[in-house]
Amino acid sequence: MTEVSQRPRTAESAAGIVAEFFDRYRAHDVEGMTDLCSINAGFFYVPVELWGKQRVLRGDGKVRTIGKPLWGGLITAFPDLSNTVHAITSNDDGDVVAQVDIEGTQQLAWGLITPAGRHYLEPHLFIFHVGPDLLIDSITAYWNDAGISQQLGHNEVD
Amino acid sequence: MTSPAVTSTAVTSTAATGTVVTGTAVSSTPTQTVQAFLDAFARHDIDAAMALTDPQVSVTVHPLGLHEAGPDALRQILADLVRGFPDLMITVGQVITTGDVVTALFKAEGTQAADYAGAINQEKHLDIDQAWRFVTGGGVITDVAAYWCQAQLYRRLAVKRYDEIAIA
Repeated sequence: MTEVSQRPRTAESAAGIVAEFFDRYRAHDVEGMTDLCSINAGFFYVPVELWGKQRVLRGDGKVRTIGKPLWGGLITAFPDLSNTVHAITSNDDGDVVAQVDIEGTQQLAWGLITPAGRHYLEPHLFIFHVGPDLLIDSITAYWNDAGISQQLGHNEVD
Repeated sequence: MTSPAVTSTAVTSTAATGTVVTGTAVSSTPTQTVQAFLDAFARHDIDAAMALTDPQVSVTVHPLGLHEAGPDALRQILADLVRGFPDLMITVGQVITTGDVVTALFKAEGTQAADYAGAINQEKHLDIDQAWRFVTGGGVITDVAAYWCQAQLYRRLAVKRYDEIAIA
């Protein structure tokens, strides 16, 4: 269930929501992460694109339909998945920018990458928007997926 | 939250703003500083962009594994892009100011005309979404961290393998 806060939205409270989001991510609490987001929260993982013969699947959509299964899949494939938050900056309009390292050791297939027990650590930049109700209504993330592939021993560009 | 204007005596370039500044103070917010940098980069005016950076600017370009201090690395990054893609077009989608930190989300598009990041020129079209996080201080950029996906870049430039980037 989505959590609704009575606190006013400030730069500090918006940053606090995002810090809590990464705490829950570190605890593999996908339901808890989702509870911090509005029902219709947008989800944009920019590097995610799977090229088929006639279409490209992208990591664009909603937290509940794209984000949640993606987070769950990552945690399944990388059971020790963790994150380190290096910096969070925010403003009173609810914009929050976070520099975060995501890391994990592969135990199951992830996309086209077969598991070889290898570890990856990749810097990510997350851009959140937190609404006046202190719920995250948008998540956008950038990272270098080639870095993850190479660390996991997968050298095909796909 | 809008950051207060800062006073700078470091900016001496005229190209970014069109205003002659000769060692006297100018006022610019973090947003204005970064917007001027992006405008100059979009014009392929690297000197004007670099004039908005601190002499000790910290530069991190994650997809290239680059972490350096000083403007030379940033100048090289910008110059390589313009040389590799002479019709480079920068379309800024969003500029987010959080205190002294300004994050710009933009799309870089262009047609490859020279080797770039190890990829040989096959005249492919590049379109890639990027996020650059700038830290500003004293009216100049003191820290830049660039994020994009090198897998997307190589995919568009028809590179097949990360361990054989120069082989099409």
